[in-house]
Amino acid sequence: MSVSVIAFTELLGARVRDADGRLIGQLRDGVVLPQEATARVAFLVVVGPEGERLIALGDVESCGGRLIRVAPGIRGETVALPEALFLKRDLLDQQVIDVHGRKVVRVNDIDLEARPTNGRTELSVLDVDVGARGALRRLGKGLLPRRTLRALLARVPTRAIPWHFVDLIEADPARRVKLKIAYEGLAKLHPADIADIIEDLPPAERESVFETIDEEIAAGALEELQPKIKVAVVQSLDSERAADIVEEMAPDAAADLLADLPAEDSGAILSEMAPEERQPITRLLEFGQKTAAGRMTTEFLALPVDATVRDGMESLRTFPGGFKSALVIYLLDRERELCGGVTLLKIATATPATPLRSLTATPMITCSTEAGDEEVAELFDKYNLLTLPVVDDHQRLVGIITADDVLSLLRHRG
Amino acid sequence: MAMLLAVVGPGIITANVDNDAGGIYTYSLAGARFGYSLLWTMIPITIALVVVQEMAARMGAVTGKGLSDLIREQFGLRTTFLLMAALIVTNFGNIVAEFAGIASSVELFDAPRYVVVPLAAVVVWLVVVFGTYRSVEKVFLAASAFYVAYIVAGVLAKPDWYAALLGTVERPRSIVLTSHDYLYMVIGLVGTTIAPWMQFYLQASIVEKGISAKQYRASRLDVVIGCVFTDVVAWFIIVACAATLFAAHHHDIRDAADAAQALRPLAGEYAYLLFAAGLFNASLFAASILPISTAYTVCEGLGFEAGLDKRFGEAPVFYWLYTVLVVAGAGVLLLPNVPLVHVMVLSQVVNGIVLPVVLVFMLRLTNDRSLLGSHANSRIYNVIASATVLIVAVLTVLMLFTS
Repeated sequence: MSVSVIAFTELLGARVRDADGRLIGQLRDGVVLPQEATARVAFLVVVGPEGERLIALGDVESCGGRLIRVAPGIRGETVALPEALFLKRDLLDQQVIDVHGRKVVRVNDIDLEARPTNGRTELSVLDVDVGARGALRRLGKGLLPRRTLRALLARVPTRAIPWHFVDLIEADPARRVKLKIAYEGLAKLHPADIADIIEDLPPAERESVFETIDEEIAAGALEELQPKIKVAVVQSLDSERAADIVEEMAPDAAADLLADLPAEDSGAILSEMAPEERQPITRLLEFGQKTAAGRMTTEFLALPVDATVRDGMESLRTFPGGFKSALVIYLLDRERELCGGVTLLKIATATPATPLRSLTATPMITCSTEAGDEEVAELFDKYNLLTLPVVDDHQRLVGIITADDVLSLLRHRG
Repeated sequence: MAMLLAVVGPGIITANVDNDAGGIYTYSLAGARFGYSLLWTMIPITIALVVVQEMAARMGAVTGKGLSDLIREQFGLRTTFLLMAALIVTNFGNIVAEFAGIASSVELFDAPRYVVVPLAAVVVWLVVVFGTYRSVEKVFLAASAFYVAYIVAGVLAKPDWYAALLGTVERPRSIVLTSHDYLYMVIGLVGTTIAPWMQFYLQASIVEKGISAKQYRASRLDVVIGCVFTDVVAWFIIVACAATLFAAHHHDIRDAADAAQALRPLAGEYAYLLFAAGLFNASLFAASILPISTAYTVCEGLGFEAGLDKRFGEAPVFYWLYTVLVVAGAGVLLLPNVPLVHVMVLSQVVNGIVLPVVLVFMLRLTNDRSLLGSHANSRIYNVIASATVLIVAVLTVLMLFTS
């Protein structure tokens, strides 16, 4: 016999007999132990006259839609299982994350691969069916003759997600640890896609994702969430975890988020943060939210006015901020007054000894800390800017606004 | 108070939509046939409505999932599929009834239904597809406020206030309870007040609004206020018809528009206008909510992509179902010789089958501690809720067999 694929719901209810033909019971569920193997079915749950029994897959000789045959003398054990994934209880009809398709889907059926080895049959989860085929199979089971149903199903296109592209969702932290649910697939996606998926989840499940994934990824996804959901998620986390994530956010995004929270929540989060992370955020929080200073980030690249291209390259190499903040290197004089800005392109195409000052774009476009959203948007539009330096009353550079900030402020206003 | 303002909406809107074309007709008929003698039903009906709606709201706030999601997760695909199919049938009947309400109310003002009904369908479709949840909710809350029209009409009808209040609190005489017609009317009142779609809609809008378990106490107030206001409106409709139609022995009315017409010589021009405009508002309001609520409920339960933030290609089943419900619901009214009565009877029958099932599911879900934790039903609450569910279920099944 060769490898075959069996639908889990087709197996459910199958009679389980031993090699002598003695009936043990009917199949009720399948058990996967993710701690040991992520796809292998370790036990079958069989319900018979004596109640529920577990049969190890090592005792299963063959597996068919109507009959499961086990080795002679096997009666099943009544041991209590440790935390495990029950296919029917925990997976069938539940929502999972389709990492490949980047969305939340509901499981209609589970395809199992049956592999005969040494007179035994091994079962492992191949994929989850989220399409019409799985649904039709379950609706038709017992109502239509098997053969008719099978012929009908063969015409329905399959929509299945390979098991390694499936991320399970589990709101209970203890179970999450025991089942090794870490949203690994989800964490590999783009932050904006992670945010879209999270928005489709119920609150407890959202919280579980943010408790589990890496802080840096969580910060990226959090920035992309709708403002209302963002606030709800942060409030659901304990302030220590929230502070860990907020520390990884760009200061302006962090300040915007904290400004939307009730004072006691934002205070609790700030007090959990390291002082050097906290300071730029508290400074931003002092400005009005709808002014240039409220929109800007304090993460930018600035060098003394007499720096050369070589210095510029060096500072780029060590710059800890994101790439949006490194598009332009600003030049400051001794009083920290802004003298000009040099774009990355100019730096990349000039010789190392060139003074940066000779590469500055003219005229230098800036705005004041008090500039409104409208003025900022106009400047970006008129001068086709990627970044806009914000200066105080003494022409000192205090922060920059990047083009993506303007895009989101325009979008949320309209 | 600020807490309440943040969560107000879903409860009030759901309860008010309940006073739709069918509801207004039933209340009018109750007043016209039996005068003040059915007013006593309003208090128990309000309690039952609050109990049932509270469970839906609580599940929404605590789990963050819709009722059809929970039913799917706990009771499996086949049950959900059958329930959703039945829900489409009964909701479609209701949608047709709403468009019929629109048609008959505008005809009171001599506007042709062939213009107004398609126009209403387009408005409904546009509001839902292009409105955001927040803006749509404001429109709906405004529509809810407009139900005051019925209270004013009730006052204009110059009822005998003492008799009306007495009828509300007095035990009904046992002679009337044995009357078949009277009993049938009681069942009709319950059936029109507690409907399956409301539970799905309320729970979904609680989730959509993002109300959390912490905000739930305020949200419960929203539900209670909504239910009480709705039944106060219903009370005034009964009173208005009792004071005029019943007193003038005008016992038979065909539909809600007919009631408005009959009021005209008895209660005056203003009462007539308020009744007619109120019917239009109520029908349009319910016609805006039922199709979209059905599309959401069905798609979520069966695992199809759903949501107005998705493009047509991403959620084809959702958009098709929604569009077909609106177009067919309005279209039926424009075809000559459509047996409307059959559509309504079928819808009522399916409604009677679906409601007990939904209520029992809700009871089981609200008792599931793994789902609701400390928010699961308490023992006392369970007694009240089970009794309510039992009575409502028995009455609906009775209605099924008597109609």
